[in-house]
Order: sequence, then structure tokens, then C-alpha cells
Amino acid sequence: MKLLDTEGCVTPEESRTHIRIPFELGENCERLNLRFQYAPKKLENRERAIALLKESYDLYILPEHREYAAEHTDRHLPLNNLITVSLDDARGYRGACHRHDPLQELFLSRQEASPGLMAGELTAGSWSVTLSLHCIVTEICDYRLQIWASEKEESA
Amino acid sequence: MTWFACELHTHTLHSDGRQTLGELAAGAAGLGFDVIALTDHNTMSGLVGKEEIEQEHGLTIIPGMEWTTFYGHMVTIGLSEFADWRQAGLDDIDQGIAEVHRLGGIAGLAHPFRIGSPACTGCFWEYKIDDWNAVDYIEVWSGTFPSIQTNNRRAFDLWTDKLNEGYRIAATSGRDWHEQKETDEPISVTYLEIDEETADGKKAGGSRTDSGSKETPAGNGSCAAEKARDTESEKNAADGFAASVSLEDRLIQALREGRASVTIGPLLTMKLNAGGESYRIGSVVPAAGQAEEHSGTTAAANELISVDLLLDFSVRAGLWSLPEQTFKLKLQSNLGEELSLDVPVPVSAEAEESASDHGGHIKTETQNQAQQMRLEAKLPHPTDKLSRKWLRAELWGHMRGVYVRIAFTNAIYFEYEEGATSR
Repeated sequence: MKLLDTEGCVTPEESRTHIRIPFELGENCERLNLRFQYAPKKLENRERAIALLKESYDLYILPEHREYAAEHTDRHLPLNNLITVSLDDARGYRGACHRHDPLQELFLSRQEASPGLMAGELTAGSWSVTLSLHCIVTEICDYRLQIWASEKEESA
Repeated sequence: MTWFACELHTHTLHSDGRQTLGELAAGAAGLGFDVIALTDHNTMSGLVGKEEIEQEHGLTIIPGMEWTTFYGHMVTIGLSEFADWRQAGLDDIDQGIAEVHRLGGIAGLAHPFRIGSPACTGCFWEYKIDDWNAVDYIEVWSGTFPSIQTNNRRAFDLWTDKLNEGYRIAATSGRDWHEQKETDEPISVTYLEIDEETADGKKAGGSRTDSGSKETPAGNGSCAAEKARDTESEKNAADGFAASVSLEDRLIQALREGRASVTIGPLLTMKLNAGGESYRIGSVVPAAGQAEEHSGTTAAANELISVDLLLDFSVRAGLWSLPEQTFKLKLQSNLGEELSLDVPVPVSAEAEESASDHGGHIKTETQNQAQQMRLEAKLPHPTDKLSRKWLRAELWGHMRGVYVRIAFTNAIYFEYEEGATSR
């Protein structure tokens, strides 16, 4: 049963913010499925990437080492968008999937769960997905989140 | 006393690691670790199956989580429950640390000077900390061969600055271990000290390092913390409770109290003797224990603090190596470098005596085919104008052709008057 299918578009200004997306889970859910994707992943514009890196070097690297860093930007390239998913049920945290994959197909049931999420009772009530926008480097980044419940174990 | 070899910063495929907990545990056991802390990013789901894996590999796994936030990464260990990392704004980390403490855990700054976003999101520590007393530890060495990295030097200096300001904060290393990949770079180990009598059940087997226990006067709990804890454990024993304190909790307590020593080679430990008492790493020498506060006779005022240093080359045998050389063993405090001793390795079997150029006294003694080297150093009392707040030992030498810090102890602290000058 489809519970949610939502899309959005975020920009670099929204870096370091969370987007909380609530949804209701009904009774008798055996398996909760989530599919999250975002694109683009990489900032392809090399000039822009190097400019962003140099700005960050001013913040994070000692003045005497900045010149060296600016000449070796390749070690930090390409720059990537990073959005991670965490999940809460009505009673609390159900884990997070902090990894770089721009497409994540996740599930949880009473017995099992995708790595990062916690298996256990799928209690009916208010749940939420939190998208954490760790870093958006491209001008825009589109995401889509789909959530559906299965009454029996099924292949998504 | 028993020192446990710990790797305190690890990841599995429950976050962005490329290894299972079983693979991580097997790799850690193979590298001579007794303990790992699992610190996946923002989840504790990787702990499923922990007990079986601990048994299979003879390893203790401490639960933890790396708060992987927008303004810094914070390693939290020793909690059984989740503390929410998502609410922390730039000025809110104090509440986050308080929550970790409320859940029985401790918190440390992870790789605080690693480059931040966009290269490594949130990796640079930007949080403003209101109360540094609440910070349990700083991961001053991150990664493999950590002592050559500029980022780690900055983290080490931050730790030293905070000690100079009077805070009592522990320092650790963490590999930030994401995958089982062969490396020929030196691997750092954080040793945590557990009382032998409390390490029961884990005494047999393993590679834990026993050092200095012969010299500990039985029942002579010397530092304030130790006394407090002794009283506590007596009370607990009376309640039939002591046996239920897990090794995990004891390790957390050890780090909380700064009973830690970090190395990419031999294990370096020290004990300080003052006013007739003995003080171990992490303990506090009370003002009354410092000889200058004694009866005021010239003899007492001139009495030196003695420091027993022990270099144990037998730890993790065969898993690291250092070229033959003359090392420098230094005693460092808020007063600067107080002493620097030449330590030739290997040394001749008989005891050596020499006077150091700083007026300190060094007595070298080697045991067990030079597996352990014992040195005794005398420190002058600080003058009236300057008070000593803390003291640590450091081992310097050549490794992979670079002159680096090879090992350092956590600090022994000194009570001092607030008004006293310090550097």
C-alpha cells in the first residue's frame, strides 16, 4: 500500500538543514519499504568546484598550508551532494543510513532491516523520514522519496 | 594494573563502512586489539549480533555512535540508547553532550581539524563549546601514521591548550576505520588502564599488557578518584553488586578518568610519587600531596617529585617495529618541556645511570631481554610564581624516516591555586 510519494528540489542555501517528512503507518504492516533517490550526485563544473574548495580552505586550513592545498585540489574532487535518510516511529529513532549512494532502497520488518535501520515492531501511528542535507554543491538537486507498506513479506 | 589495547573509532556497512562487524572484529583481533568501539555514523544498528562476535574473536565491543552532524563529528561511546544528533545547532552541542552523559556515555571530538564541507561534510569541528569541562576526550590522532599529519598536530595542540587552561580532558587515537584494507602505515593504539581485580573474567588469554602491578602497594589507593572509587566498590561489594559492573563500563570509566596512553609503538606509562603517595595517569595530585605544601622545612621544600616511567616494547609483539636508535623521552607540562632523556634502544642488559642535562635524574633498568625499560626521573618543584597543572610523558624518535611523536601518556593533574600564574 502506497503511503507516500513526494518530490522536492533543494539548493546550496539549504545545506546544513533537515527536511522532516511525516507519514502515517496503519495497522498490520509486515514490511515497510522506502526508496530514496537524489540527483545529480556530482558537481561536474570543475571551476565551480575548485572555487568552492578554495573558499573552504580559507576556513579550515592554516594560512601557511593553503597554497599547497590550492595546488592539490584533486585530492578533494569531485565534489558531491550528500543527503542522508533517518527514520523515526511514533516512539523514537529507527536508525539512519549515512552513506553516499544517491539511490537507496530500504526496508524494515520485525525481524530484519536494511543496514543502518533497526528491525522491530512496525507500530501503527505517526512516523517520519528526516532528510539531512549535509551538503548541496550543485545549483539544484532533485530528490524523490517513496514509502509503501506490505502486509506480507514481498519483494519490493 | 592491566592495559587494554583499544581501537575507538570504527565503521561498518551500517553507515559508510565497507565491512561487517564480524570482519572488523577479525581484523582488529589480528592487529592485537583487545577492544573496539563501534562508532557508526548516526546509527547503532550495527551492534546486532555483538555478543557472538565478541566471543568468536575474543574481543570486547563497546557500543557507540559518531554524531555526524553539520558542524562537527563527535564520537560517543558507552551508551546503550540513542542520543539524537539532529537538533544540534552551532551553539547547542553542550546540550548534546549532556544528553550523552545522561545516557551513561562519554563524548569526544572526532578529528576536529579535518577539512570540512564540501570536501568532508561536517568533519571540521565548528561547534562552540560553552563548558569544556563536559568534554570527555579529544581524538588527537586520527587515521594511520597519525603523528605526521598537520590536522592531528592541530588537534594535539588544542588538547595541550585546554590542559593549560586547567581543563582535565583525555586524549585518544582513532583510526576512523572503514574497511579491511592492508596498510603498511603505523597503526595507533589507545591503551586504557583497568584495575586488575576488576578485570576479572578477562584475565586469562588475550594480549593485554600487565605492567607495574608489582610495585603497586596493595590497598594503597592514592589519588582522590581512586579513593572515591575504592569506597564505592567496597560499598558495591557489600551490596553484592561489584561483579555486575561490566568490563565495558570499566573501560568507559577509565577513559572518563583519563587513564589512557596512546602509541604507534611501545606502551609508555608513568607513575608519579609525591608526598609519600603514588599517582597514576589520570589522577590528581592534591595540593597537600605536593611537597611545597609540607611542613615548610627546607628539606621538604626541596624534595623532588619522582616519576617512574615504563616503556613496554613487548606489546602487540611482531605487529610494529622501530629502527634501533636513541629515543627522546620527554616530560611535558604547562611549564613547558621539563625534562628530556636520551633512551638508547636496545640498551645493554645492566642498569645504567646518568644525569640528564636538565638536572633530572635518570635511572634506566631493563628487564626481560629489554622488553621493558624502566626509567626514573626527578622533577624540581615549580617555583612560587609558577604552578604545575598537569604533566605527561612523550616518546619521540624516528619512524619511517621522520622524527615524530611515537607515544604519549594522558596527563597526571595537580591541584593548584586559581590565582597562580601558568604558561
